[in-house]
Amino acid sequence: MAASDSDDSLYPIAVLIDELRNEDVQLRLNSIKKLSTIALALGVERTRSELIPFLTDTIYDEDEVLLALAEQLGNFTPLVGGQEHVHCLLPPLESLATVEETVVRDKAVESLRKIAADHSTADLEAHFVPLVKRLASGDWFTSRTSACGLFSVPYPRVSSQVKAELRTHFRNLCGDDTPMVRRAAAGKMGEFAKVLELEYLKSDLIPLWTNLASDEQDSVRLLAVEACVSIASILPREDLESLVMPTLKNAAEDKSWRVRYMVADKFTELQVAVGPEITKSDLAPAFQGLLKDCEAEVRAAAANKVKEFCENLPADVRETTIMTNILPCVKWSFFLQELVTDANQHVKSALASVIMGLSPILGKDNTVEHLLPLFLIMLKDECPEVRLNIISNLDCVNRVIGITQLSQSLLPAIVELAEDTKWRVRLAIIEYMPLLAGQLGQDFFDEKLNNLCMAWLVDHVYAIREAATNNLKKLVEKFGSEWATSKIVPKVVAMAQDPNYLHRMTTLFCVNVLAEVCGVEVTVSVFLPVVLKLASDAVPNVRFNVAKTLQKIGGLFDAETVNSQLKPCLDKLKTDQDFDVKYYASEAILVLTEAA
Amino acid sequence: MSAATGPVTDKIDPFSKKQSVKKPKQKRSQASSRYKAKGGTELVPLPQLKDATPADQHELFIKKLQQCSVLFDFADDCVSELKSMEVKRFSLIEVLDHIGKSGVLTEQNYPEIVKMIAANIFRPLPPAENAEFDPDEDEPTFEASWPHLQIVYEIVLRFLESPDFQPSIAKKYVDQRFVMKLLELFDSEDPRERDLLKTMLHRIYGKFLGLRAFIRKQINHIFLKFIYETEHFNGIGELLEILGSIINGFALPLKAEHKQFLIKVLIPLHKAKSLAQYHAQLAYCVVQFLEKDATLTEPVVLGLLKFWPKTCSQKEVMYLGEIEEILDVIEPSQFVRIQENLFKQMSKCVSSPHFQVAERALYFWNNEYVMSLIEENSGVIMPIMFPNLYRISKDHWNQTIVALVYNVLKTFMEMNSKLFDELTASYKADRQKEKKKEKEREELWKKLDKLEISSTANSKTVKAVPPMSPNSAPPGDGSANYSPYSPTAHRLMAK
Repeated sequence: MAASDSDDSLYPIAVLIDELRNEDVQLRLNSIKKLSTIALALGVERTRSELIPFLTDTIYDEDEVLLALAEQLGNFTPLVGGQEHVHCLLPPLESLATVEETVVRDKAVESLRKIAADHSTADLEAHFVPLVKRLASGDWFTSRTSACGLFSVPYPRVSSQVKAELRTHFRNLCGDDTPMVRRAAAGKMGEFAKVLELEYLKSDLIPLWTNLASDEQDSVRLLAVEACVSIASILPREDLESLVMPTLKNAAEDKSWRVRYMVADKFTELQVAVGPEITKSDLAPAFQGLLKDCEAEVRAAAANKVKEFCENLPADVRETTIMTNILPCVKWSFFLQELVTDANQHVKSALASVIMGLSPILGKDNTVEHLLPLFLIMLKDECPEVRLNIISNLDCVNRVIGITQLSQSLLPAIVELAEDTKWRVRLAIIEYMPLLAGQLGQDFFDEKLNNLCMAWLVDHVYAIREAATNNLKKLVEKFGSEWATSKIVPKVVAMAQDPNYLHRMTTLFCVNVLAEVCGVEVTVSVFLPVVLKLASDAVPNVRFNVAKTLQKIGGLFDAETVNSQLKPCLDKLKTDQDFDVKYYASEAILVLTEAA
Repeated sequence: MSAATGPVTDKIDPFSKKQSVKKPKQKRSQASSRYKAKGGTELVPLPQLKDATPADQHELFIKKLQQCSVLFDFADDCVSELKSMEVKRFSLIEVLDHIGKSGVLTEQNYPEIVKMIAANIFRPLPPAENAEFDPDEDEPTFEASWPHLQIVYEIVLRFLESPDFQPSIAKKYVDQRFVMKLLELFDSEDPRERDLLKTMLHRIYGKFLGLRAFIRKQINHIFLKFIYETEHFNGIGELLEILGSIINGFALPLKAEHKQFLIKVLIPLHKAKSLAQYHAQLAYCVVQFLEKDATLTEPVVLGLLKFWPKTCSQKEVMYLGEIEEILDVIEPSQFVRIQENLFKQMSKCVSSPHFQVAERALYFWNNEYVMSLIEENSGVIMPIMFPNLYRISKDHWNQTIVALVYNVLKTFMEMNSKLFDELTASYKADRQKEKKKEKEREELWKKLDKLEISSTANSKTVKAVPPMSPNSAPPGDGSANYSPYSPTAHRLMAK
């Protein structure tokens, strides 16, 4: 007993277990989250013989605690002694897989799947599979629901006889009386299909899938659509037409919009799974149907897939010019026009987020002819999200049609949007400026856009002023400091006289980012005097920003300038009345002293 | 800030005009989500039923029913169909007048009537326009085809309530599939429709004995899907209302199926975040059960305690209301079984920083029956309640609560002054004991954490035995000597 005595003094099991059953849920939860530490303290043998049985017996707790427990047990294999003992974790997880709360069950199933991999083949058949069978024939729907997720993991590793049993159980679950179980089965069908032998896939699973796809509950049917992606990608092409397509076509025209939505949402995955031939013959018409669906939700989901759907067509596009000319341009642009003016803003905004992606697929001429008009319509859309989605993707179009074309047709619209009432739209435009500037060239920029960039500096939304400041930096990097001195600096400096303190602060923010790109000379001669003058501003916020600015740009100057100009100023600020000003001043002094 | 910006108006800032972000309140209506045959049939007015000879009446009635089965798109404002829609409306009204008359419900008419009903009411419901629909704030979306649909529902009710109605004939047509589709409609956003559906289902439950078990099972499924999968279903309250009267009619002793329904479905229904929408009906169902079978009190109360809201004070107030309803009907023998767990929660509630929660809990002391129960068991309840009451009597921010707490403490003092004095005397010592325990726990975990750090530092595998005293035996030995059934261990495990 000597050993256990010394054990008890350090980590008495009773104390640990007391922690696990503390009255306070939060403490219990904390203990469970550190279950691995407790197991470590106990050692593998006692974890197996005492801790695990204790956990199995006392599974009645708040769901949050159970969730943590289920998660912990998934990582317990080393703590119970590795592979040969891992099956001792099955009983507590089995109980957890039958509780009411979905998140707990799901976590238990996840952990079971994890530790299944740690089982030897013999243990899998002796312990794991019987557990699956017990769950699959449980009384209450929760255990049967959990069972659905446990087929695909052990299946590939067990003997053919056990495999047959597992298939039978799965079949029963697919025909379960409770819709919750059928939903679970439909949800896991895809992964089970992947591990099934092809012959059984065709003889067993496909009929089950067809049944679920015509279930009375739309919530079951829509999950069957998801399974379709996996099933279709496994089946040989020649079987698709007869085994999958009729069901899929029905789903695309299902009377419930939820099912149609699912088809639209999974469309490109389905497209890849069935391959180009069937896409051409069957899916393309179905896709058009979804784009014209009577429910906006479905149209929006389909619109979201337009670009990807077209991108996935290339094999054909390359093969047959017919596809290039007829399908994407004529037909599609016709439908797109309808969508562009859709009554529902979600549909339009979904389309706006992908439509720009079509231009690389269609090429320059088609873009100019068919897409540009659509872009222009959408840029003027009343819904800001639509406008925003278009602007944020301008660069794809830019790459295809070139900046000249883009600026001619889109610039007026862009200028208009620069004053958009929604600041997020303005922000998107600002972020696009450096790119435009680079490609339009200095003269063009000065003429058309410079004023805009300066106007943003006095925008009354901070995010815009901030973005405008950073924008200036990028512009100076492009056009050089000489340009900056003549076009930007005067305006920035002038703002230091503005009656509005926010604008005076903007001057400081500009100096922060411009000092380095403009160079020491400009900074010393132009910026520094302005900054120093602001140190006696009436508003404390301005004064402590002076301190921050000096700290930031201090590194640019030689020691003499620092000592003669910066230090005195900061020393003065350090004696300011305002607490914050003092703080930032002393911080700046510290940094500058260290640097020197 | 906008003031400082001067002339630039606030029209740009989305946050400055919050009021206008919310759409002006208006009645919204939405069409059902179904494919319709556009520009289809044009309806021609038929002669009126009352003008037809009795011989022709039957055939004309069937024709009217067929006219009534044609569907129109109400959301589409296409004027071309207006005339046909009017024709259908007249036919519906005539059918409504006619169906209650004696001699109309002949056997051949049943399938036609049910077909017409099904064609009109069964439809996929449209997507919810407002995903975060809040019944307190937002107007519900109304069904666009209501002018027709309302009459159809009235026909249904008159059909089911007709003295000539024979369930034995109707059951061929009003079958399980019919009921299932009917139940799906309870998700309708239109409260007018749900109300009529409720009456309709009630009648069907009353008249079709063969469908009762099926209806209950399907309602079960709807609830479970709501609790564990979607948390969205508009008609929970209506379904619970029907169940309330179904439970009322359960024979005693209760079947296992019904008890299971209470524990595994009704109690978890308390978890959903939209509880407020159906709590009254739910609490009614629960109390009905307890009035039938008092032995269910313990699992019900423990269930509620298990799901007790952690952060939502509004829900907590509802739970407290339900607990009081339960206490109103509780048998003293049952009260004894739950008092300890219940009053641990009550003690947390009375000291809640949310004054509505604290207030609701403290109101229990105004309930005479509850007071009598507390008095009988003051020896158990006072020690549980005392520490928190004593603490908040000093430091709750809300004066009303402090006053209420004083009253409660006063009743305790009057109830059992000896115990009260003891509790007051030991209050300080107990707090110190608690603090010490807390410290010990921290120490323990600190030790354990060190262990984890050192073991992960030493090796990745966790096989290593915890560092024990130098003369400790190898792990195998240690556990062989340790008997899990040793008296101490056993006692502690069983505690």
